[in-house]
Amino acid sequence: MKYTLLIFISFLLQQNSFANECSPANDVSRVTVAGGSITEIMYMIDAEDSIIAVDLTSNFPERARSHPQIGYVRALSAEGILSLDPTIIIGEDDMGPPAVLEQINRTGVEVAIISEKHNIAGIKSKVECVAEILNKKAEARELFDTKLTPAIEKLNIASEKVSENQIKAIFILGLQSGSPLIGGMGTSANGLIEMIGAKNVLSSFEGWKPVSTESILMAEPDLILISNRGLSAFGDIESLRQHPALALTPAAENNNIIAMDGMAMLGFGPRTIFSALNIANDILEINDK
Amino acid sequence: MSLNLKSVSLKLDNRQILKDVSLEINEGEIVSVIGPNGAGKSTLLNVLTGDITPDSGDTIYDNRQLNKISIQERAFTRSVMSQMQTLVFNFNVKDVVEMGWLQRGNSDFSSNFSIAFEAVTKECNVQNLVHRKFNSLSGGEQRRVHFARTLLQLWRPSQSNDPRYLLLDEPTANLDLSSEMLLMNILKARASSNVGILVILHDLNLASHFADKIAIMKDGEIKAFGKPEEIMTDDFLTSIYEVPIKVKYDPLRVRYY
Amino acid sequence: MTSRAQSIKSSITEFISSKQLLILFLLCIFTFVSVFIAIGTGSYDLSIINFILGKNTGLQNIVLLEIRVPRVILSAIVGASLGIAGAALQGLFRNPLADPGLIGVSAGAALGATTIIVIGANFFPNLYLGSFLLPVAAISGACFVIFMLYVLTKGFGYQGVTYMLLVGIAVNAIAGVGIGILTYISSDAELRSLTFWTMGSFGGVTWPLLIPAIIIITISLIFLIPNARKLDLLQLGEPEAYRLGIDVQRVKLSIIFTSASAVGASVALSGMIGFVGLVVPHLVRLIGGVNHKYLLPGSALMGACLMIIADLFSRILLQPAEIPVGLITSAIGSPFFLWLIFRMKRL
Repeated sequence: MKYTLLIFISFLLQQNSFANECSPANDVSRVTVAGGSITEIMYMIDAEDSIIAVDLTSNFPERARSHPQIGYVRALSAEGILSLDPTIIIGEDDMGPPAVLEQINRTGVEVAIISEKHNIAGIKSKVECVAEILNKKAEARELFDTKLTPAIEKLNIASEKVSENQIKAIFILGLQSGSPLIGGMGTSANGLIEMIGAKNVLSSFEGWKPVSTESILMAEPDLILISNRGLSAFGDIESLRQHPALALTPAAENNNIIAMDGMAMLGFGPRTIFSALNIANDILEINDK
Repeated sequence: MSLNLKSVSLKLDNRQILKDVSLEINEGEIVSVIGPNGAGKSTLLNVLTGDITPDSGDTIYDNRQLNKISIQERAFTRSVMSQMQTLVFNFNVKDVVEMGWLQRGNSDFSSNFSIAFEAVTKECNVQNLVHRKFNSLSGGEQRRVHFARTLLQLWRPSQSNDPRYLLLDEPTANLDLSSEMLLMNILKARASSNVGILVILHDLNLASHFADKIAIMKDGEIKAFGKPEEIMTDDFLTSIYEVPIKVKYDPLRVRYY
Repeated sequence: MTSRAQSIKSSITEFISSKQLLILFLLCIFTFVSVFIAIGTGSYDLSIINFILGKNTGLQNIVLLEIRVPRVILSAIVGASLGIAGAALQGLFRNPLADPGLIGVSAGAALGATTIIVIGANFFPNLYLGSFLLPVAAISGACFVIFMLYVLTKGFGYQGVTYMLLVGIAVNAIAGVGIGILTYISSDAELRSLTFWTMGSFGGVTWPLLIPAIIIITISLIFLIPNARKLDLLQLGEPEAYRLGIDVQRVKLSIIFTSASAVGASVALSGMIGFVGLVVPHLVRLIGGVNHKYLLPGSALMGACLMIIADLFSRILLQPAEIPVGLITSAIGSPFFLWLIFRMKRL
């Protein structure tokens, strides 16, 4: 009985053994990736050859999908992952369940957890962190210099202009119990909207929630952002425009609806910067007309 | 030895179901309780079995208060046959009869099981049904099976002197003539083996022919208790049932009018 | 034979036929075989023979002893608990459609787990409580339900099982509201954890978690099995059972609490896994008959086999990923459930 109590207490007090560090890993020859944005980054910093398995959200680039699939990041299988003989597993803080990560770590596989922040700084540090772990600092430098930094600069300018226009936006992920599922405070969607320079007008709540027609109409969004998968829940853009919850919004009436791949918008890897830039430019074009 | 109710009263849902009822069933005696519907006959039986606790009065088993006797001991002393529920699961007839075989720690006893089982199934004429599924039997056959179970519960090796009692609530309902007679004759045989019997009957002829004593109930009271020939008179029965009844004595077997 | 040996022999052979004893024996063997196959099969390449011969690498042994074996044992224990609890509850309620979920225990465990997933993260942000707090919360939830059932049924005494069923429905409803509210206020991350927990999984189990579970469940089974004969007698109805010497109230409470404990512990560790408690007793009845002395152990054994096999499929169908085992049991269970209903209609 005492023994059981001891084990119980030691479990309670155990510190998280995978601190969010970005220090270089010991052996990065066989990498299992649990997060689409990380896969993206690895391809962009020329680390793709060490990838041996990816998760469900790793859909970019196309050829990333050909790797063995470890499934959903929150429900990983210890044995499944170990059977692929990785040297390290890299994921974000939603990787789990914790017990499985423990088991994997105990067999000698490194576990690297990268924290995610939904803004430009967060994306930058994510890229740097991955590069640091995989010892690809030079390649990361090049990525920044040739692609990321210019894009970020353009995005900053564009988002300034967008915010001058005071664009009201909402992000729809899909339908839940008949109502549009909207991204509120603290969501990746909220981060995206802020990156663009617009205002998330349905952010009084936390997380993703189904929102009533009245609240949506009161918010008067000028712009609707939606993932491709979310759009398919409605049908197509026309059905979306005519949906009773949205039909009377300025966004629907003016056909200011932008649909893109979900991970491209919300993954908060480098692609999110390019997506944000595209969206910001689209908005400015529309406004200029 | 006897089963006794002493001044038992019971109120349910604000209705006085039993009013100061007293009754005695001696070993070796058949007592039949008769009376119109709603008289409280079944309730009386349920108090006697211990299913219901009365508001006042005592239930006595062999000079002991019922509430001082454990549930298991009660089951050794008395067995009951009343309204049957349907069996949800598909038991065999053998299983159902066997349910009357109370587990007795005494290993000498358990070696008697097959003897006892054969005896009661033969007696109740269900020995050919033993391997069938209970739910496939007709209503009458099912009743005979339950009766066999009830008898099995009271079975003792012949040298035993334990006091035993059999309580039955309208056991002949829905039985055909031959089954009815079979059952009543078995009761008669048990009584001569010193089992005390209480049987609620609706058929006055049956009651008068087989019972040693009759208790007539109406409105929660026992209006009369005694030998059939003493209390079953024209006027008395008519007043109880509120229907004209004529009593005729027939030295031969019971006739049905 | 001595009288002591005689009474032991009769307590084993009484009220159970030799055909049924044979089936139980075969089920035992089948369970052992399933355990062996399940331990030897999986994404990771290793073999038990090599383990015995000492030819495995250290890593293979770790995977075998720390990942696979606890997992297979948990699936066997959970399967046995759900199977026997289902059989006991179907007997108690005299209802072939009864299931551990009916009396509200699974809902209670789910409520505990949901509370910890949604709220716990806010109160314990710095402690790594992860995998241990969840089972503890779920067991507490199940115990809370058990306690409520106890208080509510004790106060009303001899009321029959219909009343108990109603209490179970009420408990399910209350737990449902609680879970609904918690779900609504949950963040996206919490919501997804919740969704996966409700689909059931044996992944991530470790020995320190497993041992308390084994203890709780074994104790519950030890208390449940002696009720077998009493469950038979209960089929005649509660008044009849009483007249045959059964302390009905005590039996009801005993069955409810031991089932709830076993189910609560199972749900706590592996999430909600449906249909096993419903389907397994029927299969066992189909094969050998309905008396509980055969049915209870038979359901435990068959439940264990089924769950071991279901978990095996969950591990290998989409390897290296896993399918939640609850999905597999539902996929097999739902059509069976339908067939059961049609069969009942015919009778």
